[in-house]
Amino acid sequence: MDQGTLEKLVEIRRGDLSAADNVASALELIKKRDKQINSFIELNPNALAEAEAVDLKIKRGEKVGKLAGLTIGVKSNINVTGLRATCASRALENYVSTYDADVIKRVRAEDGIIIGMNNMDEFACGSSGETSAFGPTDNPAAPGHIPGGSSSGGAAAVAARLCDISLGSDTGGSIRNPASHCGIIGFKPTYGLVPRQGLIDLGMSLDQIGTLSADVAGTALLLETIAGKTGNECIMLNVEKVSYSEKLEKHDLKGLRVGVSPKFSDLTDPDIMDIIHRGIEKLQDLGAEIVNVDLPNLERGLSAYYLIVSVEFFSGTRKFDGRKYGKRIEDVCGEEVLRRILRGRYISQKEYRGKFYQRALQIRTLIKRELMAALEKVDVIAGPTVPKLPHKLGSKLTPMEMYAYDYLTVPANLAGICAGVIKAGDVNGIPVGLQIQGRTLGELDVLRVMRALEATE
Amino acid sequence: MRLYSCLRQMAILFHHLCGQFKKFDSQPFHMTALISTVGIRMGEKLKEIERGAEEIIENFIKSVETLPELKETYYSQEAYNIMRPDGDPTQETERSEFRKRFISNMPSTDDRGNLKVEVARWTKER
Amino acid sequence: MKVKIGFEVHQQIDTKRKMYCNCPTNYQDVPPNTNVCPICTGMPGAKPLPPNERAVEAAIEIALMLGCKIVNNQTIYIQRKHYDYPDLPSGYQRTSLPIARDGELHGVRIREIHLEEDPGQYDPVTGNVDYNRSGVPLVEIVTEPDLKSPEEARKFLRWLTRVLEYTGKVRPEAGGAMRTDVNISLEGGGRVEVKNINSVKGAYKALKYEIIRQRDKLKRGLTVARETRAFLESQMVTVPMRAKEMEEDYRYIPDPDIYPLILDEERVRATQLRMAEPPHLREKRLMERYKISHASAEVIVSERELADLYEAVASEVDPRLAAAWFRTRLKKVLNYMKLKAADIEFTPTQLAGLLRMVKDKRVTPEQGELVLRELARNPADPEELLLKLGLVPLNKSELEAAIARVIEENPKAIEDYRVGKKEAINFLTGKVIELTKGRADPREVTQQLIAKIKQKPSG
Repeated sequence: MDQGTLEKLVEIRRGDLSAADNVASALELIKKRDKQINSFIELNPNALAEAEAVDLKIKRGEKVGKLAGLTIGVKSNINVTGLRATCASRALENYVSTYDADVIKRVRAEDGIIIGMNNMDEFACGSSGETSAFGPTDNPAAPGHIPGGSSSGGAAAVAARLCDISLGSDTGGSIRNPASHCGIIGFKPTYGLVPRQGLIDLGMSLDQIGTLSADVAGTALLLETIAGKTGNECIMLNVEKVSYSEKLEKHDLKGLRVGVSPKFSDLTDPDIMDIIHRGIEKLQDLGAEIVNVDLPNLERGLSAYYLIVSVEFFSGTRKFDGRKYGKRIEDVCGEEVLRRILRGRYISQKEYRGKFYQRALQIRTLIKRELMAALEKVDVIAGPTVPKLPHKLGSKLTPMEMYAYDYLTVPANLAGICAGVIKAGDVNGIPVGLQIQGRTLGELDVLRVMRALEATE
Repeated sequence: MRLYSCLRQMAILFHHLCGQFKKFDSQPFHMTALISTVGIRMGEKLKEIERGAEEIIENFIKSVETLPELKETYYSQEAYNIMRPDGDPTQETERSEFRKRFISNMPSTDDRGNLKVEVARWTKER
Repeated sequence: MKVKIGFEVHQQIDTKRKMYCNCPTNYQDVPPNTNVCPICTGMPGAKPLPPNERAVEAAIEIALMLGCKIVNNQTIYIQRKHYDYPDLPSGYQRTSLPIARDGELHGVRIREIHLEEDPGQYDPVTGNVDYNRSGVPLVEIVTEPDLKSPEEARKFLRWLTRVLEYTGKVRPEAGGAMRTDVNISLEGGGRVEVKNINSVKGAYKALKYEIIRQRDKLKRGLTVARETRAFLESQMVTVPMRAKEMEEDYRYIPDPDIYPLILDEERVRATQLRMAEPPHLREKRLMERYKISHASAEVIVSERELADLYEAVASEVDPRLAAAWFRTRLKKVLNYMKLKAADIEFTPTQLAGLLRMVKDKRVTPEQGELVLRELARNPADPEELLLKLGLVPLNKSELEAAIARVIEENPKAIEDYRVGKKEAINFLTGKVIELTKGRADPREVTQQLIAKIKQKPSG
């Protein structure tokens, strides 16, 4: 069992492990293993120098940030000045970021070392990690299988310990899905908690930047670093700061109400449900009260989601016209990106708006209501993350078959609530993640549940 | 995937020659209009993509038939009149770094920092 | 042939920061692509800042100025209007739903007003794009096609410019702060929209050209298609801009990155209290309060600063005299010196002092106008200026001496007058004025000349 995030931080601060060594071993490991995994598109040439600067601060007894010396992977749709935010697409393959995303500013302010730009599904349009223009990513926990997507590289890198933590983005499950497949911890914050300034859009009203980590402590630390309003964009919750780390010491869940829905079994493979049930039993053992909740229209969220995200993606990609930077997106993009652009273009037409776009937004209201109602009866909802196990790399799936991975994750995005995923077991070696969904700004409850589960391992 | 992009490159070339892809006068991208002698198979592939795009729409129509009409949710949280006061703008020093990077990303630029793009067709007509 | 002309006027609002970012708005003073940031250049991942509040306030004021009804207590989304053009960095323009409707200015109905952002500047001839202007707040004013001729249109646009300046919240007109798209249809023809017009003069020329072009086509039995054309100022013609005549679908959606606005009654009332009095209301009030004519009032309210000056002056001197002077001589001096009322440097007290001198007949009106011109050039106490210009009034004997001299020196003119050439008296009067350096009242001079000539024996 490798060392946890907190232990590593302590070591770095004590001087027992230098940040420079942490970075050097990461680079070494990446060199050794990433040709096969393909979780990074570009490495930060200044990483070592940045680490050395942190070590110098520590040596001098100066105060260092809460991520001091940790190696951080960044999904390639987040702007890091000087590195290429390619979105794993030919359209932006040479786009060198001209500014830092707000989350990057915060990570740097806490002395986190950005080690490189992670691979992903092209423009975040995917749930497998196979659509990158820079080649597919492998699943280190289940080699030969997809790692999931669209934050495929970030999840794989953390799973293979190529970096300590990763920043990903989640629009319909893009953090949680790969976290489940790769057996690590993924967290999608409440919509509006983490600034999106600098995140290249997939669906503006659904996207959130979140975390991929090997442990809950790392998740909590990174969340605390990136969350909170900035005044630098319009759509943000009125939350100044968040703190979770110190509140995760208690490992029992007495008094916590956990909701489960029979709908999950309807939609999910029985193999996966077995693992999930066992996970929920553990929660019960830890003192949680298990309550049945009704989510009658859960599965209708999928098609509504795809209509909404297509319209927003169509809108968000109009700037990729090749004039100011990069290439015109329709000229060079992959199939799924093109599908979403065409779909978005089609249904946002004047004569169809009411029938499709607005109707989908009505279904969103329905899904949101149901989830919110359930979350009044319980503190969190526990269930599967994905309805089926990750397929083998190279398998041919139809678009609908691919979209079907998202049934259980899109509702949280439609409702704007937070959700985390933690490994609950595996089926023939393939990891299965338990998804914990929480209320608006209910991050602490979700983290508590995950921490309690983690502690039983 | 490679054959597809190869065919698409050919169709793009064909249409450049026909002046169809002039960015200035273009309507939003008409994929089905790309059917040409060169790209007949190309057109088929694109039709396939379009069909793939439509599938979930059909799925949607079916799944929401029986559901009630509701108010649309455009935003995750409701809020209004979030505005910003007018005041001192940013200083040039704050913007100079970005300007350098912005210009260096430009496919084509002049020595004053203008971005250079296509010349409009309608100015040439007289 | 019946002509219908309407406008979509885009007026820049005077703010220090852009609409959705904090870049400066002085786009004309800096090198290309200098007042830019990731937001106003459409960088991948850039999100707008909350909208500029001063711009929203200005839009409400402008709407009230134009007699519009503010859209009250309804959700006003900022929408994305998608189209492809080089000057639009994100491939869409942020434009609000109407914030006001159903106004009127000089008989022309205002259909709606909304808040927009300016795109960058694209020179279609060189292919240059400069984003300095991208994101500057705009108000769009859409009129009904109530104008019936280019002359009417020009007059309306001039009036509109003045009314907009009344708010004190718009950028001054020089350099494209106000741009217009015009639409024009002739009876029997389709509606043609003309873009790329950058001045009131340009609008006039474009309209004149279009009427000729369309009339000609209709006369020859051809159809005038509904289309969008561009005005080429250098050649003074319009050319087709978009080959297809169908309406472009902008695929409007509420911008998911900007919360909508709701203009409640309280905000509107607060704006109404704070803002300058609209010209059409001020005109009425001036007429009633000071008992001046409509013609005078109309001139006085044509510029807000002029009306402010008038009311200050009218509190010190006879308002009717003041009104007459504002309508005639002051306007003349301002036009001659190419000054706007806002540029005036003399004080109301100084002007009132001058008018008092005129009223007391210490100077003639013509002399007064000379003083006024000097006042505009070098503001000072009018008494001082009087001395400076040597305009001490003529006494009786000085006048008589001057008249005598002119009569002596110009026998031919006297002859001419005696045989009936009336112009000769004007010539002689002019000579006296010249001799007395304008200190004499021409009417009195003429009277005395005639009298003296009658007295003088012929020969």
